[in-house]
Amino acid sequence: MMVLGLGLVLFGHYSVAGTPVIEIEIKDHLFFPATIEIPANTKVKLLVINRDLTAEEFESYELNREKVISGNRKAVIFIGPLPPGEYPFFGEFYPKTAQGKVVVIDQ
Amino acid sequence: MKSIRVFLLASILAILTLFNFVAALQGYQSSLLEAEKLFDSQLLQTAKLIANLYVDNTTSNLNYLSTHAYQVWHDDQLLAASNNAQSEAITDRYPGFGYANFDGYRWRTLAYFDHNHDNWIIAAERTDLRFILAESVITKAVLPIVLGIPLVGLLIWLIIGRGLKPLRDLSDQLKNKQVNDLTPVETPELKDELSQVVQSINVMIRRLGTTLEREKRFTSDAAHELRTPISALKIQLHNLEEDIPVDNESFAQLQSGVERMQHLIEQLLSLYRSTPDEFSSHFTSVNLYQLAQDVIAEQHLIFEGKNQTLALEGSNNVIEGNAFTLSTLLQNLLSNANKYTPTGGSILVSVDENNNHICLKVEDSGPGIAPSDYGKVLERFQRLNNKSEVIATQGCGLGLTIVQHIADLHHADLSISPSSFASGTAFSILFKKAPNPDEKRI
Amino acid sequence: MFLNSVVLILQETLEAALLISVLLVFMRLRCIRPFWIISAIAAGSAGAYFFALQMASISEWFDYMGQEVVNASIQLTVLLILAIFVAQNPGATHSTSKPQKDLGVIICTLLLVALSLTREGSEVFIYISGVIGHPSHAQPTLTGSGIGAGIGISAGVLIYYGLLGLPTKWIALSGLLLLSLVGGNMASQATQLLTQADWLPYSKILWDSSDGLPENSILGHLLYALFGYEATPSLLQVFSYIAGMLLISLCAHLGSRKISFSTDQKTTDHNASVNR
Repeated sequence: MMVLGLGLVLFGHYSVAGTPVIEIEIKDHLFFPATIEIPANTKVKLLVINRDLTAEEFESYELNREKVISGNRKAVIFIGPLPPGEYPFFGEFYPKTAQGKVVVIDQ
Repeated sequence: MKSIRVFLLASILAILTLFNFVAALQGYQSSLLEAEKLFDSQLLQTAKLIANLYVDNTTSNLNYLSTHAYQVWHDDQLLAASNNAQSEAITDRYPGFGYANFDGYRWRTLAYFDHNHDNWIIAAERTDLRFILAESVITKAVLPIVLGIPLVGLLIWLIIGRGLKPLRDLSDQLKNKQVNDLTPVETPELKDELSQVVQSINVMIRRLGTTLEREKRFTSDAAHELRTPISALKIQLHNLEEDIPVDNESFAQLQSGVERMQHLIEQLLSLYRSTPDEFSSHFTSVNLYQLAQDVIAEQHLIFEGKNQTLALEGSNNVIEGNAFTLSTLLQNLLSNANKYTPTGGSILVSVDENNNHICLKVEDSGPGIAPSDYGKVLERFQRLNNKSEVIATQGCGLGLTIVQHIADLHHADLSISPSSFASGTAFSILFKKAPNPDEKRI
Repeated sequence: MFLNSVVLILQETLEAALLISVLLVFMRLRCIRPFWIISAIAAGSAGAYFFALQMASISEWFDYMGQEVVNASIQLTVLLILAIFVAQNPGATHSTSKPQKDLGVIICTLLLVALSLTREGSEVFIYISGVIGHPSHAQPTLTGSGIGAGIGISAGVLIYYGLLGLPTKWIALSGLLLLSLVGGNMASQATQLLTQADWLPYSKILWDSSDGLPENSILGHLLYALFGYEATPSLLQVFSYIAGMLLISLCAHLGSRKISFSTDQKTTDHNASVNR
């Protein structure tokens, strides 16, 4: 299993260049924009920029994503390819305000 | 589960914490839901109030609480707005509640259509503030549950301690019981669960008492019963002595056999009649070196018979003990060495002091014992299966057992090691040094 | 602040509590002093603190994928040590194992506890240090952390006594079963992180149980922390979960066979010496 995993690690690092990039900013524990739209069945690179001094954790149960973004730093999160639908995400450290969603649109 | 008390405390506290905290969590969630509903209905009231304030279509901005924002729309015209609201519509004009981000905050929004004036009222309230308000109220309710847990833990600890007290009392009583104390155990505070245990212990103590009593009676009876026939036997032997030629070997063997039997019985009776505690109460100061000299003087003939060299080394050293049993001990060790050392061999007895202990050592130049067999040597009635040697020598395997027993009675340690000769065995007995008479006074 | 403090602290505490309580049971079976685990907890906490301090720079390694890669590496290392741990037949009681064999078990235990705590504790440090600054957050955060830690530790205590309360022959087996679940969880989480970092390809979602048992319910959080429950797992995650479980089970099986084999040999040696 480890060998298989390693093989996947070696060959899995592919096609980053053609991936669309979407920027999300975190400011005052809010996501800007709070709603992002991405095309269906496409891998997308989210560039999350944290403008707050405190850390935030980008989390989404629907997207199966979880990542700590330190204060005044940025982070890259790959999502997709996804079927059409709505995928909420939130900041785990400030979930009452840091709320957003990814809307996947069928083209 | 090393301690019943720790086990009970940890598991009870864990179950309490688990259920209380999960319940508190559920309570928190439903309270928060209720609070949300309350805030929402307040927002609706606010929207209705604003709707009624704007009966005419005059545009005027109103300073409003910074925690709230509102807009009044008529078709696509913004009639009025709080100064913290943006110029475009806060939310879609679709009746109902929603969320929006503006002015650096997240807002709970409400779009409300005023049918009387055909106006859309959009009211918004900062979610962070309403959340903090709701949360501070609910957390205050939850906090005592968290803070109460250590107190509950302390109380459980004390209660369990109280509940286990009879058990502790019982175990203390058993621990402090003297060896010869065969009185029944009492529990001052008899609990149902323990009464059976105490009863069983008392039955066992009673049985032990009768067994000990029977054993004591048997020993004294046996002493009496055995002594009499042996004395009679000796008298008969004495009488026979005159009728039998002096050089009759069978008669000499018979005589020494009876002697040995009598000696053995005396030893057994004197040793096994007493427990170590009874025994040590009759101790006197014994000079081991002098004692060794006396025993060697008594026994030197048997060594001369086998042409063996017997030497004594060391100095005067005094221990607390019983002179008669100590001589028996040394006699046994010496006759053992004599038996297992071939003709012409050497035997060395030494009495030395080291580290507050007095060491009595008997070494021989015999064939020796394999170190792995040392343990077996001390076993009761164990005879070394050492081919020719044993067949040639007479003796009963009780010797070393008696040595061990005497050592035990003196709280001394018996150990076996290779001797300082080229081959052979050394038996060492390590006695505690007698307390100095000067120190005793202090 | 209250609820997410509970969720965050609970998840990390529960994951650590499960591992530590099972390891403590094995220490108990081996008559090894729990002092070792306590020192490993201290080492893990210190590690978590430094990991948290370095998190901002670590995140920028590997094209901003440092966090995923480092965390996944720690998880795969934990899986590997777990495999080595169970291969030493940790459930063998003292009479059948030699004292020097305890050393391997102790070293594995120390590494497992320290590594797991480093990873899990760092998130707690980052969270608390980010949130506590705001005065209105302090009380709900601390209350929530208390509740989360309380539930997690209580669950650990109950797992510990629950395992020890089983009939003797089932204790080690149940402990190994739990460890194989921990192993599956580690493999699945590492796969998820590497997929997130785009080091592993996307694979389709196998099922969606978010209606029946959503991940953000109390039970969902408990199951996530204990067994890595996901409402929408990917094919690769499920595959690696099963692979992780099988790896641990296989190593445990081989470990127990090796021990019984060497015991047999000892008996024959003994017989031979007696015959001689």
